[in-house]
Amino acid sequence: MSGHDSKYFSTTKKGEIPELKEELNSQYKDKRKDAVKKVIAAMTVGKDVSSLFTDVVNCMQTENLELKKLVYLYLINYAKSQPDLAILAVNTFVKDSQDPNPLIRALAVRTMGCIRVDKITEYLCDPLQRCLKDDDPYVRKTAAICVAKLYDINAELVEDRGFLESLKDLISDNNPMVVANAVAALAEIQENSNRPIFEMTSHTLSKLLTALNECTEWGQVFILDALSRYKAADAREAENIVERVTPRLQHANCAVVLSAVKMILQQMELITSTDVVRNLCKKMAPPLVTLLSAEPEIQYVALRNINLIVQRRPTILAHEIKVFFCKYNDPIYVKMEKLEIMIKLASDRNIDQVLLEFKEYATEVDVDFVRKAVRAIGRCAIKLERAAERCITVLLELIKIKVNYVVQEAIIVIKDIFRRYPNTYESIIATLCESLDTLDEPEAKASMIWIIGEYAERIDNADELLESFLESFPEEPAHVQLQLLTATVKLFLKKPTEGPQQMIQVVLNNATVETDNPDLRDRAYIYWRLLSTDPEAAKDVVLAEKPVISDDSNLLDSSLLDELLANIATLSSVYHKPPEAFVTRVKTSALRPEDEDYGSETGNSESPAHLADSAAAGASPPPTSSGSVPYAAARQPAPAPVSPAAPVPDLLGDLIGLDNSAIVPVDQPAAPTGPPLPILLPASTGQGLQISAQLTSRDGQIFYSLLFENNTQVPLDGFMIQFNKNTFGLAAAGPLQVPQIQPGTSAGTLLPMVTFQNMSQGPPTSLLQVAVKNNQQPVWYFNDKISLHVFFSEDGRMERANFLETWRSLPDSNEITKDFPGIVVNNVEATLDRLAATNMFFIAKRKHANQDVFYFSAKIPRGIPFLIELTTVVNTPGVKCAIKTPSPESAPLFFEAVETLLKD
Amino acid sequence: MISQFFVLSQRGDNIVFRDYRGEVPKGSAEIFFRKVKFWKEDGQEEAPPVFNVDGVNYFHVKVVGLLFVATTRANVSPSIVLELLQRIARVIKDYVGVLNEDSIRKNFVLVYELLDEAIDFGFVQTTSTELLKSYIFNEPIVIDAARLSSLGSTGLFMQGTKRMPGTAVTKSVVANEPGGRKREEIFVDIIEKISVTFSSSGYILTSEIDGTIQMKSYLTGNPEIRLALNEDLSIGRGGTSAYDYRSSFGSGAVILDDCNFHESVRLDNFEVDKTLTLVPPDGEFPVMNYRMTQEFKPPFRINALIEEAGMLKAEVILKLYAEFPSNITANTISVQMPLPKYTMRASFELEPGAIGQTTDFKEANKRLEWGLKKIVGGSELTLRARLTFSQEFHGNITKESGPVSMTFTIPMYNSSKLQVKYLQIAKKSGTYNPYRWVRYVTLANSYVARI
Repeated sequence: MSGHDSKYFSTTKKGEIPELKEELNSQYKDKRKDAVKKVIAAMTVGKDVSSLFTDVVNCMQTENLELKKLVYLYLINYAKSQPDLAILAVNTFVKDSQDPNPLIRALAVRTMGCIRVDKITEYLCDPLQRCLKDDDPYVRKTAAICVAKLYDINAELVEDRGFLESLKDLISDNNPMVVANAVAALAEIQENSNRPIFEMTSHTLSKLLTALNECTEWGQVFILDALSRYKAADAREAENIVERVTPRLQHANCAVVLSAVKMILQQMELITSTDVVRNLCKKMAPPLVTLLSAEPEIQYVALRNINLIVQRRPTILAHEIKVFFCKYNDPIYVKMEKLEIMIKLASDRNIDQVLLEFKEYATEVDVDFVRKAVRAIGRCAIKLERAAERCITVLLELIKIKVNYVVQEAIIVIKDIFRRYPNTYESIIATLCESLDTLDEPEAKASMIWIIGEYAERIDNADELLESFLESFPEEPAHVQLQLLTATVKLFLKKPTEGPQQMIQVVLNNATVETDNPDLRDRAYIYWRLLSTDPEAAKDVVLAEKPVISDDSNLLDSSLLDELLANIATLSSVYHKPPEAFVTRVKTSALRPEDEDYGSETGNSESPAHLADSAAAGASPPPTSSGSVPYAAARQPAPAPVSPAAPVPDLLGDLIGLDNSAIVPVDQPAAPTGPPLPILLPASTGQGLQISAQLTSRDGQIFYSLLFENNTQVPLDGFMIQFNKNTFGLAAAGPLQVPQIQPGTSAGTLLPMVTFQNMSQGPPTSLLQVAVKNNQQPVWYFNDKISLHVFFSEDGRMERANFLETWRSLPDSNEITKDFPGIVVNNVEATLDRLAATNMFFIAKRKHANQDVFYFSAKIPRGIPFLIELTTVVNTPGVKCAIKTPSPESAPLFFEAVETLLKD
Repeated sequence: MISQFFVLSQRGDNIVFRDYRGEVPKGSAEIFFRKVKFWKEDGQEEAPPVFNVDGVNYFHVKVVGLLFVATTRANVSPSIVLELLQRIARVIKDYVGVLNEDSIRKNFVLVYELLDEAIDFGFVQTTSTELLKSYIFNEPIVIDAARLSSLGSTGLFMQGTKRMPGTAVTKSVVANEPGGRKREEIFVDIIEKISVTFSSSGYILTSEIDGTIQMKSYLTGNPEIRLALNEDLSIGRGGTSAYDYRSSFGSGAVILDDCNFHESVRLDNFEVDKTLTLVPPDGEFPVMNYRMTQEFKPPFRINALIEEAGMLKAEVILKLYAEFPSNITANTISVQMPLPKYTMRASFELEPGAIGQTTDFKEANKRLEWGLKKIVGGSELTLRARLTFSQEFHGNITKESGPVSMTFTIPMYNSSKLQVKYLQIAKKSGTYNPYRWVRYVTLANSYVARI
């Protein structure tokens, strides 16, 4: 071959396609090959060359492997859009699969598996069967992967034709490459199946351990990962396994090392001999440290994993803290992870060294890194009581440099130190106050205000300091306002003199009349009422001793840590999230072209992204600060229904002579009430625990609203929840946040949900199976019904023209009708409002004889639209509902939802 | 298993795009590029190598300014994917000789062929250049190596990576020399990246060597090779904690903390006489990676001083001591020092007669830069800089400047004293005597002096 391939990119003349067509049919081989290359070049830059399908396929019958591969590459790309033409290629494939040249046989099987066209799949079975038993290992290893491909297209076919058994036979193959691929294919099939397919027995184990030594590095990873599912019977077996795996720690491939570490850690759980465990820890340390000499990308993965490992087994790297010191040229993402680990490994023994490092980092240029370093010093102070004083000394030195963001960060951590060691380090407050006027970040301001309020009696001019903040009260962000409010109340309680008294009037006035923030207003009213009713009680409440905070550097709870450790060397261990929180693997059939084509008209392209937002929002590593408890019942941001304000007894009137009219609460927000939730687990079934729950949608986010009533004799705590696979893949977006429930009380919560996390196969159903457990009772299972309308998205509104066009473009077979004989529409306005509130949008209305016909649109996740026609006679029972949708199988669910909505 | 693999240029253009599973939407390359380009999360401005957008996991590594990316929906091993991306880069380089946008574009058919053999349905099959040769039919088009020199000699070892995919060798392992027959030769490079942190008083706080013995063989018939290392080499510090110098100091022996080997290496005699036996596969690969924290003599000592010199003025004095033998020359040395934020101007004063030195004050990030073409062992160099400030400084001026960091390359020098004593090629005939190149080079990784 001559010349440069890139010349194929340069032809952009007008008659390109006809020109190529001519060349493809040339009688000269070389010309045909060049033409196919040009076609491929056009394809890779995104040009549509599908019209050349027949011409390209004609070039397929050749002995020239180079050309054959090019044609296959083309076929894989376009077969899906030309399924009928793809059949043309089948004969050649079948013929090739019996070619004397093993490369051609393998190529045929490999390519056929990539063509996801049902008609072709049928023809694939026989060649595949042959190739799985081929003499040549290259063909067998290709066939092994092909089984996984076929399973992805048609699982039933794979099971019916006995391919799984053939695949299992390959585990005993004499070629390690074949074994590795068989293991990889089986592992994947197992992951997508609910039945046990690839069970790890001691027999398989010993076979795989033998194959391990001869495999390529990649095969070793496949095998180690599959083996990690094996549960050793006893300590001795675990020790044996570990012994066989340990040599892998010396491998140059980081993936092999990490997978070996995972395997060893898992078996270590079973090993009882402390000597053996200690010895293993010693063996694992050097390879783990060596991972930090790899490329920064690998270092990042290693560090995220080490972060988990040291939480469970701190001894492994206890003496290696120096290797986690940041290098000057480390990328920021590596530096941040190293800091985390340094905090975790910091001890009384090495704290001086560590502090010296942190102090150095705190003077570097990168602002984010500097901030994190300052916080790290604070976290060490909280973690190591004996080193706290030294940490504070360093923080004070940093404050003296007077770099603004360093000062602010230092003040934030010092507040936490005060909470950890109350009444110990107040002497430094004076130094802090010097920086008062430079604070411009809300968090730093709030922290400083908290300190002033908390120690008001020790700060001579506390009232002046607070007053300086008060001037800007209305402009401050909410949490600064909250801190100001509380600090002023504290000040007043500690020094009930004239100055603070005036201040409190200003603050209370600001926080009740002038604000529309319900949190602030509620808190202000509570203080107000407390102060006016019983100032002594107010003291007991406001100045009560606070619980001492503890070190948060090991913040993963032990059950999550267990799960993550079981997932070492997977993405889960990088994100520090359980796999179900981010794995959204959909069967490929869900992305069929029909759906895509449809979507281009209705704005489908946006909505998957919109939907996945909630799932993806958590994609980055979790925040490390505490206080990220989302949606806890106590802090519901959702607007609550207004209950008519009961006349308020004039309890507040006598408070420091304020004008009464100013303090009548206008609209006291009540706890979210609404209609009671349906009871799903009656107390009689739940041994005294009653659970009511319902899916709801607020501001586009789906929540599971739950109410727990404890009718037992004991407090219940440790609530957890899990959802079985369901049609919409609904799953909890985070852990269930329910406080301990005392006997005779109840607690409600809104659990944020994500969709498409664990989807069940089969026709859509509304069944939602829920399991709830707590620390005192057995696991409770109950069923709920998913009402489709919670999924209706805000972007489901269609323009009239668009509606008509979509209606017409859908085939009549997609129209489904249902009658609701019992339903009456009395008030059209109210009904429309109610429907609009659930994102079922009114489009048009017309009269037909005495009937009213209404048109609506709605949209569910994945951008599936519903076009709805409701026909009824107002005030007369009977509503007819006709819908058109690209997803007619969801119609029954849709009708259920509409029925509920109309009934209300 | 991965779902897609693609290579993007610095501007975000698709150079190569291969979809193995059809389960990730088509726009993934654009989504990825936008995310990386405008990354701003967790207070960081550089995207981590692994992240998730809308349920799709993106992995990427940067190689010679190109982004090698893989996507997946499954909970895969992230290290396998990141290793794979590095290896693919290396395999392509083995085939086309030099890795850049141009060479990939010119060889796109070959690259696709390689990708199809290396990965099937997202499962890694092999990344061994040697094995791949039996299945690859396209011939590489080697681009003009002369144009490469524009990269300069520092471009030779790529920034940021430890196991440098590129040594000085930029020949394709499969393409024939223009003259016809291939030249019989083998390259063994001992590359050491050293990290040293000096305290403000000049003591060594941490020091570490990350080393690689890199091999690239052009020998026909894949003969067996024996590589002998120092006889007094030992591995593992026998339970002493890191940086405990007492155990090793003064003995003169080379003690590695840890090392690992390429899978082709046989260690039958390693315990006895410290020799490695291997049949080198084609292509470039690391024979051995090692790590050492044993005390060694740093090639450079840095002395940095910043002092107030009256109102709104200060003086910086930087001194470099080259503490290696005078027959060795370091090249492409660059010294950098962040200055206080309110520095307005800096004027420099080099020693009289200084040649091949440049000085610069980078206004944007307030940084002093001192470049030196070469430094002969045993010499001592000084730079003085006078700074002018825009405002009076408060607090401690030394806290607001530094640390001083430097980069350099020292050919034919290695700090660890690890050596290849001999390189034996199993003889086929008496006249067979291929070229053997054993080269040493020391590079700065993180070489920092605090002030």
